[in-house]
Amino acid sequence: MAAAGSRNGLVVPAAFPPPVNPVQEFVGPPTDPEDERIEVGVVIVGGGPAGLACANRLLQLLAEDEALATGLGEVPVAVVEKGKVCGAHNLSGAIMRPSAMKELFPAVAPTDWPTYGEVPGEAVYLMLTGKQSVRIPTPPPFKNHGNYLISVAELSRWLADKAEEAGAYLLTETSAAKLLVDANRVVGIRSGDKGRGKDGEPLGNFEPGSDVLAKATVLAEGTWGHLTGAAIRAFDLGTEDAQVWALGVKEVWEVPTPLTRVIHTLGWPLRTSAKYKEFGGSWIYPMGDDKVSIGFVAGLDYADVEFSVHDVLQQFKTHPRIRGILEGGKRIAWGAKAIPEGGYWAMPKLAAPGMIIAGDSGGMVNVPELKGIHYAMHSGILAAEHIYGQLKANSTDFSSYDAAVHDSVIGTDLYRTRNMKQPFAKGFFVGGAIVNAMVATKGRLPGGHWKTHPDKDQPMFRGGRAKGYPRPDGKYTFDKLSSVYITGNETRDDAPNHIRVQKEVPRELAEMWQWMCPAGVYEVPEDAEGDGPVDVIVNYTNCVQCGAITAKGGRLTTPEGGDGPLYQIT
Amino acid sequence: MSNILVYVLHYEGEFNKNSLGAVSEAARLASELGGEAHAVVVGEGDLTDEFLAGLGRYGATKVYRAKGPEGLAQPVVDAMAKVIEDNGHAYALFGGGLLGFEIGAGLAARRKAGVTMEVTEVNVDNGELVASRPILQDSMVSESRYKGDLGVIIGRLNAFEAAERNGASVAVEDVDVELSPWSTKATMVQRGEQRGADVNIEDADVLIAGGRGLGKPEGFEQLEELAGAFGGAVAATRAVVDAGWFPYAGQIGQTGKTVAPKLYLAAGISGAIQHKVGMQNSENIVAINKDSNAPIFEFSDLGIVGDLNKIVPKLTEAVRAKKGS
Repeated sequence: MAAAGSRNGLVVPAAFPPPVNPVQEFVGPPTDPEDERIEVGVVIVGGGPAGLACANRLLQLLAEDEALATGLGEVPVAVVEKGKVCGAHNLSGAIMRPSAMKELFPAVAPTDWPTYGEVPGEAVYLMLTGKQSVRIPTPPPFKNHGNYLISVAELSRWLADKAEEAGAYLLTETSAAKLLVDANRVVGIRSGDKGRGKDGEPLGNFEPGSDVLAKATVLAEGTWGHLTGAAIRAFDLGTEDAQVWALGVKEVWEVPTPLTRVIHTLGWPLRTSAKYKEFGGSWIYPMGDDKVSIGFVAGLDYADVEFSVHDVLQQFKTHPRIRGILEGGKRIAWGAKAIPEGGYWAMPKLAAPGMIIAGDSGGMVNVPELKGIHYAMHSGILAAEHIYGQLKANSTDFSSYDAAVHDSVIGTDLYRTRNMKQPFAKGFFVGGAIVNAMVATKGRLPGGHWKTHPDKDQPMFRGGRAKGYPRPDGKYTFDKLSSVYITGNETRDDAPNHIRVQKEVPRELAEMWQWMCPAGVYEVPEDAEGDGPVDVIVNYTNCVQCGAITAKGGRLTTPEGGDGPLYQIT
Repeated sequence: MSNILVYVLHYEGEFNKNSLGAVSEAARLASELGGEAHAVVVGEGDLTDEFLAGLGRYGATKVYRAKGPEGLAQPVVDAMAKVIEDNGHAYALFGGGLLGFEIGAGLAARRKAGVTMEVTEVNVDNGELVASRPILQDSMVSESRYKGDLGVIIGRLNAFEAAERNGASVAVEDVDVELSPWSTKATMVQRGEQRGADVNIEDADVLIAGGRGLGKPEGFEQLEELAGAFGGAVAATRAVVDAGWFPYAGQIGQTGKTVAPKLYLAAGISGAIQHKVGMQNSENIVAINKDSNAPIFEFSDLGIVGDLNKIVPKLTEAVRAKKGS
């Protein structure tokens, strides 16, 4: 007989669900007295590429339609962003396909976009060991000719400036804590309280949140949307497959020698055996002549308790081929973010009465091509056009948006690559062969529908992963806390805890969280004994809002607006 | 004649220490300018002549008493603006503290005066006051002079020391102030001490700081003893403050206080960067940690790898023996 919460004697995170009932806590009717509610035309949750593309497109349409703009009131378009500024919580590689920028800003020359230019050339390496590597032909999905190198944090700031110039009302440092639903229709959001203490008690500077009512609500919360998760449950928007995630950890380096091509790697330091379920790879991109972006992504369905993407990235940098690129350089930025990798089958239904889901919140990431930013923007544009069309017809039925996304480049691309992630459960080489077949046949092989399995259902075991991590030298390799420090995170110490996890959990689970979290949020107490239940220490003020905990058995909620990292060039 | 007007805050029958510092400073400056130091006190029925006369010990020659709610900024702005309008004071001076910032800013706006905040030193030059203020993260000092009829000078916290002098008698004058409509919008609900006002780790020459390596809250007892032997104070890392082992007022680091004592002894502290930025300017850093890989050893002047529970008591004994106490 296996003990509770274990399978074959292994701990399964899903057996220790977070103490939270999202629908009950995060969905409900407006509560402010009617004269205190803030009324806007369209409220967009999230000032990232999806939300800001939506805001910009809406304002373009409203600029040509004074009647509707007036009808939407004093604030036709409001963007609610929990970061200090738009982009503060955005992180990506990133290479952007330019299609959405061209569509949204046809009059702006690409040279005026916030980019580091076009991809100059590319190479893919298979890392065989910690010392050897071999260049392999660039697989078709990694071909990036004509795409642009960007920092998504910078892109969001630029899009925010454009939106503000066009008349958007940007509510930064404001979290969207609750989805307002009245008579089974989404009617807006409630912003989070500010100035609460550790135990939720109001402090001297307490400011309660406000009900923000809107004719249309766009959830563009990015990966792991707090309200998106609640909305999917409340309106039963989930499709048959579970969403799964990967975690990316990234650094930006100033380097003396310019990098002249984009590099992707597969293989080491990930272990190829299927039992570890280590799936992922790295990128190294130039950012002009003096900076490079380097990062590592790995699926959160991994099985080894000691797996840590942050430490895998540190290990990766010790490879001579990589070290040579960074030689004599200095790390200037760091960050982490979860990425939805379920692809086509895991996309939720994208509309509910009064509401639309856009971008990463809707799972719009093309895993083999490592792209999502242009899909986010395309979906934002589509959302804007559908909302505009329906409001013009005096309707708040946005259901046609779902089909429009599936008929667009988003749906067709994601369908073509629908079985990308799943085959890798068979291990790197077998999985790699299947995926190459998929790419070569444009999705006809392997046909059908390979199911995903929730990351938190993966039984965990101690697989000795930590032995390979280097000891941080503070020059090329870094510990988690010095990394959090350079994100600009200055969350106050007496803020309430926004992370929900069970406290008394088996030691393996507590250790798994400790290794998993790139920001050092979870800690196993030093004096914890044996395998008995461990009272996990949660250093939630370190949190950079990557979202990985939700994949591995906890639940991230929104922190107080303005908390978390202040990413600049990630 | 250049008189200086000082705002004096009081609470429960006592004058604020920073306000008294400002009175002393004003008295010193006024004597050089050939003027007088005057004070404004705003309050309800508790402002007796006898109480206000106490300001004479710090060098005030006249106290303007205005009726209004104490501890709020706008009523004081009304009172000071009226006093200055009627009596033509050349300068208004404030001790450190947020209330002074708010009143000073309001007064400067009302009287179209120049204003300097976070002032650490005031001098007399050529019959005028010159305020010095550290800028660019305290790496440079900027000097301000005042062009108009009034200069507003707001001190940094603890910039001016309260010094008793052989004061003359104090004249108390009631001021009839009509409060602006907006001044009565805010009411005082509650007053309380700023958290941790009682622990002053920033001034200590010797700091003994404890981290999670102490193992348990009781671990601080031995640090208190060691600090006592040195005549220093005890401080802590965020981790142990979070764990409730030590009050927030003693927290060093990014989200706590920044200190630079002559000796910083870190016991059971790993030395994460968030802690380092709060103490790296200490003159001598000594670390005790059982983990030889702890980052703190990379920026310590002296590192001891070992069990602090054995080392700290021995060190306390040794310090006591050396000091002969």
